[in-house]
Amino acid sequence: MNFVKRILQEEYPFIFALPAFMWQLFFLYLPLVSIVVFSFLEFSPLQGFLGFSFSYYVKIFKLVYLKVILNSFFLALFTSIICLVISYPVAYFLALKVKRFKTLFLFGLVLPSWTNLIVQIYAWFFLLERRSIISKLLCYIGIFSEPRHMINSYFSTMIGMVYCFLPFMILPIYTVLEKMNRSLLEASSDLGASRFVTFRKVILPISLPGIYTGLLLVFVPAFGEFVIPSLLGGAKKAYWGTVIVDKFLISGEWRSGFAIATVGVLFLGLFIGLLFSVFKIVKVLKTKRFKLKIQASKK
Amino acid sequence: MVERNIFVRILHPIFVSLIYIFLYLPIVVLVLFSFNKSSIASGWSGFSLKWFKALLQSPEMLEALKVSLIVALTSTFLSVLMGAALVFASRWWKKSFLFNIFNINIILPEIIIAVGLISIFTFFKIPLGYESLIAGHTLIGLGFVVPIILSRFKELDPMLTEASTDLGARPLQTFSKIVLPLLAPAIIVSCFLVFTLSLDDFFISFFCSGVKVQTLSVYIFSLVRQGIDPRVNAISTCLLAVSSICVLVLCSSKIVGQVFGYGK
Repeated sequence: MNFVKRILQEEYPFIFALPAFMWQLFFLYLPLVSIVVFSFLEFSPLQGFLGFSFSYYVKIFKLVYLKVILNSFFLALFTSIICLVISYPVAYFLALKVKRFKTLFLFGLVLPSWTNLIVQIYAWFFLLERRSIISKLLCYIGIFSEPRHMINSYFSTMIGMVYCFLPFMILPIYTVLEKMNRSLLEASSDLGASRFVTFRKVILPISLPGIYTGLLLVFVPAFGEFVIPSLLGGAKKAYWGTVIVDKFLISGEWRSGFAIATVGVLFLGLFIGLLFSVFKIVKVLKTKRFKLKIQASKK
Repeated sequence: MVERNIFVRILHPIFVSLIYIFLYLPIVVLVLFSFNKSSIASGWSGFSLKWFKALLQSPEMLEALKVSLIVALTSTFLSVLMGAALVFASRWWKKSFLFNIFNINIILPEIIIAVGLISIFTFFKIPLGYESLIAGHTLIGLGFVVPIILSRFKELDPMLTEASTDLGARPLQTFSKIVLPLLAPAIIVSCFLVFTLSLDDFFISFFCSGVKVQTLSVYIFSLVRQGIDPRVNAISTCLLAVSSICVLVLCSSKIVGQVFGYGK
């Protein structure tokens, strides 16, 4: 009783933090560990625990599953690259060019991404259909010889992916550019740099953290995406997310599902880790070269 | 020099407006067709509200809406309360890792969170349903609530809580009478945010809803799978209206702007 009293009186901050921590522990960390552990366990409903084994990993060690992971990887990669290419000019425009109604522009950008994901995808059904405006327009221009269904293809999947993930790339880049010190631009042009040089040597390096955040926010969820490929892609290609949904909700092979989930997360973690260490090494090398240059100029 | 000017002056704004058209064209078409008389997507055949009426008469839809609202309200309440209490504790516990561990909720693919949740719920033999849905949605909510409330809390004068403690208030009193009212703007904003997130969530709902309970997202998904259905347009229009209101509140607030970068 004394112990409880002491905790209540002296260690109360601990008690305030406890619910959130417990929630996080029970519903995030414990499940994450359980995914990995269950993928190794040999378990039968009648005899209970039987021991550890790699049998489920051996089971999924097939070319099909490698292909599935690669499909997801390339889907996420293409989505991130296309999003980056589109987002940079938009973020640049919003941060540095727009003077009035900035909040309105941002509101417009955020709104689609805050609506239901299924609604966002469903909206494209109307535009990619055979009798849709776009199809008729393309016919009129002469790209299509006759109205065509554009749904259920890799193209429509990519459109859906870019549409849903675009704001998550634009916003981080915008945030970084918005916070940038404007006098740097003036200084650069005063020192005689052309617009392009200012962009390459001043703006781009400053916006790199935003680009990294954007890549992370797009690549990771895109890798695990299931809804967009299955609704807009016509389930022609299997992805990591599709396979997990199939294993858990349709075929009920939970054990192989755990193994695939673990392998996918591992792959994702390794790739992201590798990417960011490459970025870091490049940065270190650049700083070193810069320092050497300064030293040389001092001599 | 002239070419560059053309690029900067004309092409850049045109590109940005094209992106905005890309973002809004599907939504506008979707909303238009929800007022369409005929059920086929081919053309406009007159204004009607019959799909909205059909929605109100569909018991499945109303049931799904009820589930979604219960889950969204409960998880909003839980995550905001726990998030605020956690931030209050940071008054004494000044370690940033305490808050950084909540970032993973946003970054991790949701499908992994969902798979983990159903594995843990089946392991402890708790049937899937409201409990698992609320657990998952609150988890996602915490990832957003903690940074928002924390950034507001950092702006507050630490003297205020000190003064209240010195004057003999118990921690719970300090929390409810001093800290909560001061954090109110951040708390309201996070409520809207978590509410929309929970209402729009698909992955966790899809995995954790079990056999009996079905959220709105899952119900819409089952309809959409069968192709174009004007009732879905009607639901979508309603959902769009709800999220526009929430985003309006979010964008007009200063705090979210500081954390996530929109608004000013």
